[in-house]
Amino acid sequence: MPFAGIDIGSTMTKVVIVDSDGIIVSSVIGPTGAEHRHLALEVMDEAIKKAGLAFEQLDFIVSTGYGRINVPFNDKQITEITCHSRSIRELFPSARILIDIGGQDSKGIKLDSDGKVVNFVMNDKCAAGTGRFLEVIAEALGIELTQMGDLSLKAKKYVKISNTCTVFAEHEVTTRLTEGSTIPEIVAGLHEAFAARVVNMVRSLGIEKDVVVTGGGAKNIGLVKAIEDKVGFPVLVPPEPLLTGALGAALLGRDFVARGVTPERERRLEGVTFFK
Amino acid sequence: MSDNQKYYAGVDIGSAFIKAVLVSHKQIMVSRIVASGGNYKETARRVLDEALSKAGVSLEELSGIVVTGIGAESAPFRARQVSDVSCQAVGCRSLFPSARMVIDIGGQFTKAAKLTPKGRIANFLMSEKCATGSGRFLQVIARILRINIEDIGPLSVKSQMPVEFSTNCAVFAESETVSRIAEGAKMEDILAGVHRAMAAKVAMLVKGLQMEPDVVLTGGGGEDAGLVLAVSEALGVKVLVPEQPRLTAAMGAACLAEEEKP
Repeated sequence: MPFAGIDIGSTMTKVVIVDSDGIIVSSVIGPTGAEHRHLALEVMDEAIKKAGLAFEQLDFIVSTGYGRINVPFNDKQITEITCHSRSIRELFPSARILIDIGGQDSKGIKLDSDGKVVNFVMNDKCAAGTGRFLEVIAEALGIELTQMGDLSLKAKKYVKISNTCTVFAEHEVTTRLTEGSTIPEIVAGLHEAFAARVVNMVRSLGIEKDVVVTGGGAKNIGLVKAIEDKVGFPVLVPPEPLLTGALGAALLGRDFVARGVTPERERRLEGVTFFK
Repeated sequence: MSDNQKYYAGVDIGSAFIKAVLVSHKQIMVSRIVASGGNYKETARRVLDEALSKAGVSLEELSGIVVTGIGAESAPFRARQVSDVSCQAVGCRSLFPSARMVIDIGGQFTKAAKLTPKGRIANFLMSEKCATGSGRFLQVIARILRINIEDIGPLSVKSQMPVEFSTNCAVFAESETVSRIAEGAKMEDILAGVHRAMAAKVAMLVKGLQMEPDVVLTGGGGEDAGLVLAVSEALGVKVLVPEQPRLTAAMGAACLAEEEKP
């Protein structure tokens, strides 16, 4: 019995399909773009093909992420807080704090010893402390977002970035460049400022071991190290940190079927030519 | 220059513009505004020199100078330094004796000051952490819309249906602007939406001080009719704007220079 989870984030759409044992049989990560519905189907279709399945064979489809309402073919919508905590409970039973750093928001989730959500904090109002912060500044520095982690590790010291606001920090960074600071030093400084902001937000939840970092931010080794510096101990990162939302969604679908929960709605595929 | 006429200078070294004003009997005689550029010292000297030559006065003939603004430290001439909040208050009260609040929307910061009935500063707040509260927000959006800063106000006031941004963050509003344009939103509605977001931020500052009319709006923001309208709406009062809203701090500085000397 296969179960699918689809997570439509602000920048990436992720699909995970698990089998009846909860083992991942396929996963796909694609861009989100302006047309959610279309891309959701494209990414889902690819994941189904990779698993060697047909759409009708999926026993349950759960959608999550900020674009979750734009999935016309789901059986249920669940918030990403619930989905993330579901997969983290599976991957890291010792986790008490989850920090998810997405393209346009960041979240902190506190879990109890059973892996249940006790409390959470979120920032989606300000670009500082979200992937967008690094994206904007990578562009100003003329470097790739994906290079930032490795670049920052080359720095022996970091440049203190005093502005929180992305717009002001962008300006500050170019000033530091003209003053002779190197790009690795500046990028290390950006990670430090970023980590300070995110960890301060999560501090209100009470930081406890273990801390797990997920989302695109967890793919940045420099940022993960900066977060470790702030919390004072090593953090855990899943092998594919972008997939925890979609994996949690798929696992919740499996839970629903096991508990005999029926779909909330009919899967709508009209106007959809992909599966024909 | 007649023998008995004394001139006093006020120089305001701001992050975006440097302004110089010469007053005599608290009336502005000449003024100059020049973009600050990368070298405050050099620009400040040039702005003051240009103002002096316009008035036909030499630096030695000036009876007093007060310098203010974020770059006051870099003044290339000997002058007393006074905080820009104090200068702003003095300048605004000389134009509007009824002023009890002064909001200054500059290139980088927004400041709000509450004045006592006598014009002293009772309290003051500043927004420096976030671009939404400053002229930078408008620069960011103007760049996307490919319009000049001066055209923003006249366009914005035409708006019938301001765009509502989901957050007030300038960075998120920037990408939202792109999608709204793709959806066919009108330029004036986008600008009016930005003005509303900025006005909300300004209103938060003013609320923190407990608003007291009359409210005066100065700085580059005062030259933007759309922003003036949005701030008036957000505060529920019609804000007063000086004829040259960018000069009030420099003017206040010059008035303070004049008060000092008999």
